[in-house]
Amino acid sequence: MSERGDWTRVFRLGVGAKHIERDIDQELEFHIAMRTQRLVAAGLAPEAARAKALECFGDLRTVRDSCLDIDHQRERTMRRTNHVSNLRQDIAYALRSMRQNLGFTAVVLLTLALGIGANTSTFTLIDALVLRPLPVPHPERLVTIGNPARTGGLSEGTPRNDIVSYPVFADVRAQSKLLSGIYATGRASRLDMLADDAQKEPEHPRGRYVSANFFSVLQVPTALGRTFASDEDRAPGGAPVIVISHAYWLTRFGGDRSVIGRSVRLNGVPLTIIGVTPSWFTGDIVGQRNDVWIPIMEQPALMPNSPALTDRNTSWILMMGRLAPGATVAQARSELTTLENRSLIENAKGNERVSVENNVRETPPQVEPGARGFSYYRHLLAGPLFILMAAVVIVLLIVCANLANLMLARASARGREMSVRMALGANRARLVQQLLTESLMLALAGGTLGVLLAIWGSSALIALTGGAQVEAKLDARVLGFTAALSLATALLFGLVPALRGTRVELAAALRAQGRGVSNAERGTGKFGLGKMLVVAQVALSVLLLVGTGMLVRSMQRLQTTDIGVARDRLVLVEVDAERAGYKGARLLNLMRQLIARANETPGVAAATLSENGIFSGTESGTNVRVEGFTAQTDADSNLAYDDVAPGYFHTVGARIIQGRDFEARDNESGAKVAVLNQTAARFFFPRGGALGAHISSDSSTYEIVGVAADVEEQDLRAQPSRRLYVSSFQIPETPGHFSLEVRTAGDPNALGESLRRSLATVDPSLSLHVESLTDLIQESISQDKLVARVVSVFGILALALAALGLYGVMTYATTRRTSEFGLRMALGADPGSVLRLVLGEAMLLVAGGVMVGMPAALGAMQLVRHQLYEIGLLDWPSIFVALLVLSASAALAGYVPARRAARVGPLVALQDA
Amino acid sequence: MADIDVGLMRGTLDLLILKALTWGPRHGYGVVDWIEQATGEALLVGEGTLYPALHRLEAQGWIEAEWGLSENNRHAKFYRLTATGRAQLRTGLSAWQQFVEAASRALHTTATPRTA
Repeated sequence: MSERGDWTRVFRLGVGAKHIERDIDQELEFHIAMRTQRLVAAGLAPEAARAKALECFGDLRTVRDSCLDIDHQRERTMRRTNHVSNLRQDIAYALRSMRQNLGFTAVVLLTLALGIGANTSTFTLIDALVLRPLPVPHPERLVTIGNPARTGGLSEGTPRNDIVSYPVFADVRAQSKLLSGIYATGRASRLDMLADDAQKEPEHPRGRYVSANFFSVLQVPTALGRTFASDEDRAPGGAPVIVISHAYWLTRFGGDRSVIGRSVRLNGVPLTIIGVTPSWFTGDIVGQRNDVWIPIMEQPALMPNSPALTDRNTSWILMMGRLAPGATVAQARSELTTLENRSLIENAKGNERVSVENNVRETPPQVEPGARGFSYYRHLLAGPLFILMAAVVIVLLIVCANLANLMLARASARGREMSVRMALGANRARLVQQLLTESLMLALAGGTLGVLLAIWGSSALIALTGGAQVEAKLDARVLGFTAALSLATALLFGLVPALRGTRVELAAALRAQGRGVSNAERGTGKFGLGKMLVVAQVALSVLLLVGTGMLVRSMQRLQTTDIGVARDRLVLVEVDAERAGYKGARLLNLMRQLIARANETPGVAAATLSENGIFSGTESGTNVRVEGFTAQTDADSNLAYDDVAPGYFHTVGARIIQGRDFEARDNESGAKVAVLNQTAARFFFPRGGALGAHISSDSSTYEIVGVAADVEEQDLRAQPSRRLYVSSFQIPETPGHFSLEVRTAGDPNALGESLRRSLATVDPSLSLHVESLTDLIQESISQDKLVARVVSVFGILALALAALGLYGVMTYATTRRTSEFGLRMALGADPGSVLRLVLGEAMLLVAGGVMVGMPAALGAMQLVRHQLYEIGLLDWPSIFVALLVLSASAALAGYVPARRAARVGPLVALQDA
Repeated sequence: MADIDVGLMRGTLDLLILKALTWGPRHGYGVVDWIEQATGEALLVGEGTLYPALHRLEAQGWIEAEWGLSENNRHAKFYRLTATGRAQLRTGLSAWQQFVEAASRALHTTATPRTA
């Protein structure tokens, strides 16, 4: 009897419940039989002997049952310890084989790290902006009222309900019964803060005006000091206090605990810091940093010339409420709609009432679950981020296909090892488990590296979003995502090769000397798995490359498109004269002075101003009556509006199609005149005759003196809207916020600082903000740039991986066929024909991939077409370039093995066989 | 001849089984056979206690089982001693020795116990 240690493993008794029962029955039967035999030998008749033997044995059933109990128990313990020891063995084995193939391991880990890292980076951003709820107690009980993307909205004019006026908020809050609390939040425009008397230059923290119940509705405490008290909501100016964010406390005040009780000046008003938020609370606006929270009752003190607390025509407030116990979002929606509509309609004045009624009927207020807070960047970036996610998933799929191919090749190289082990009795499940353990370890190691990569990757992505302030936290959620992803990856690239690699034909494998012959090798056959994987890789690459091409071209169009103005030569200066107290005639005088001063500045070609500016993010609208035009619906009489200074169209570089530009004579004493854009002129005067007609808005009537070509004022993608221009000097109340448009002779960016200094000499107390139009436009398409750039990177990565996969498969296939090529050449084939043969096969794989990938690419582009600008669905240049790049890489990847095949000497090849 | 209930003596059967296997693998019937012969048929081991004991010892890892052919060419389950089993037998034997001596001292004593 052998005493070798593995004796039990190879020849172990059968396992499993059935085996146990059978073994016991056989064992006991053997005993009875032996006893019977002896009794027969002693002279008993066989039947009597057996009866006697059974009688001697006693209660067979009880013995059998107790044996069964013991064996089952033993089986369970054994299985458990076997699992543990198997796993330990597999891990050790995997580590050994990883160490033995360092090059292979490095390639696998690197590609996995790239694939998983890209996914984790993107997911981090999606999670932070789109998925994650606010870190407050019971976020699921919060509801937002209004359009959650309009976090910086401000509208003067007809009352709205996507953002509302303060009086509407006050009405809703007073009457709502289904919400246990509703707070108001509105953006504080630029704040000038002086932290102490020694500070000369003000700094500009980001702030929001909130009702005093802000923290109590969100149920957020302070880390230091207190939150607002409810009586800090009673009277304007009654609460000269602020709460600051934890981050601002650290960066601006160095984490000084004595900051509580300290007084700072905001816009000249002394306010006391009463609290610091906890570090986990960054506000209710996702994607934007907030430094200070100011009680909304202080708004009149900080902005003395803005009636934002009392005026029903100034909409700037978003609301968030907490559902009362038992109330649902749907119930709250119906209650809030009723309350808000009533407040809007009952207080509408004169002819405004009809349009307000129409507005609220067409678009009732948005009441939505508020767990994820408000976010402008979510609205802006969710689409692009999901495109990115799709791109990185494709990259990961290509990585998986590549690795599956590598594992397949390895499995077939280990075919003989597998055959031997199976001949020795190892079962297939056990071998599959072992191979999967190896894949899993690779994936987990790759995932770990990927997480490290994502620390860098997610911050890089955030930097590319151009402005979103998201904390790239690698927390349990993100790590959980990565772990699940690694697991899925391991199964994806490991399972099929493991199954294939262990499907060994024993006899054939053992017969072949020195070489493993397993089914894995069939992967190199005509429609083998390896080739199918390459086809899939090529298809995925086509998808990504065509997508990349279209996104890049869309971005280029956005950057160069004609928006109707001299986009490369314009500087915009945002001026806030309101805070400095300018109004009426003084304001108009200031405007003239600023234009004159700008014109005197060296390097300036022309200067003008307008209320809203271009690509400034602010826009006005108005209702008009047009002579000779009958409005069918309320919307017909609505159009965008801007008031501008003389020479506006000439200065910004817009074309006048008919009539004239605004001139110096269009002043306070001149006849009231207006200019329409082409879209408005066509709409109101389809048969022409706009010039000389009259248009009325806000109880003033203007004569139309010009028609200007359309200008894309705010958004490159939006169709130009109907627009009315009037003179800033001829309207009832010229606003104190306006924008100077300055056309430069040279580079606009070079002029910025000298222009600012020159303008500041008019009145040093003016708040001036200079930006070139190019920058503003770039900002407005930053998400397009983000997507185009990042997808390009992934497209190149995908291409490289697919080429690598093709190279691997072709190299492997040609090596296996060395003898065939040798034979061909011995029979007279020239190297050229072998080269063509191999290259032809490679190109066939590429063609297959393209055939699958092209429809997929076109389908995918259909899904994201709203992200594309002036790109048709069949964008031939993109498709052509993608296919060219792909074929070139594939040809290169196929050429190397093809050349090697062609170099095979007939003798070598035949000897080798 | 009176059958002594071996089961009463805790661990005795285990020791006998281990001892039976020291000369090589045996099947259950062989173990019974050996015990009967070795004790001069003084001890008769009931099959009802033997087989559960064999399976228990196997679960404890003191003996191992394999299927083999019996002397009359039948499939039989053979048990053999493992290294642990051998060690157990050694310690078991000396414990048994002490037990027997102590028990026998007590059973053969003539002195009456002193009462406190």
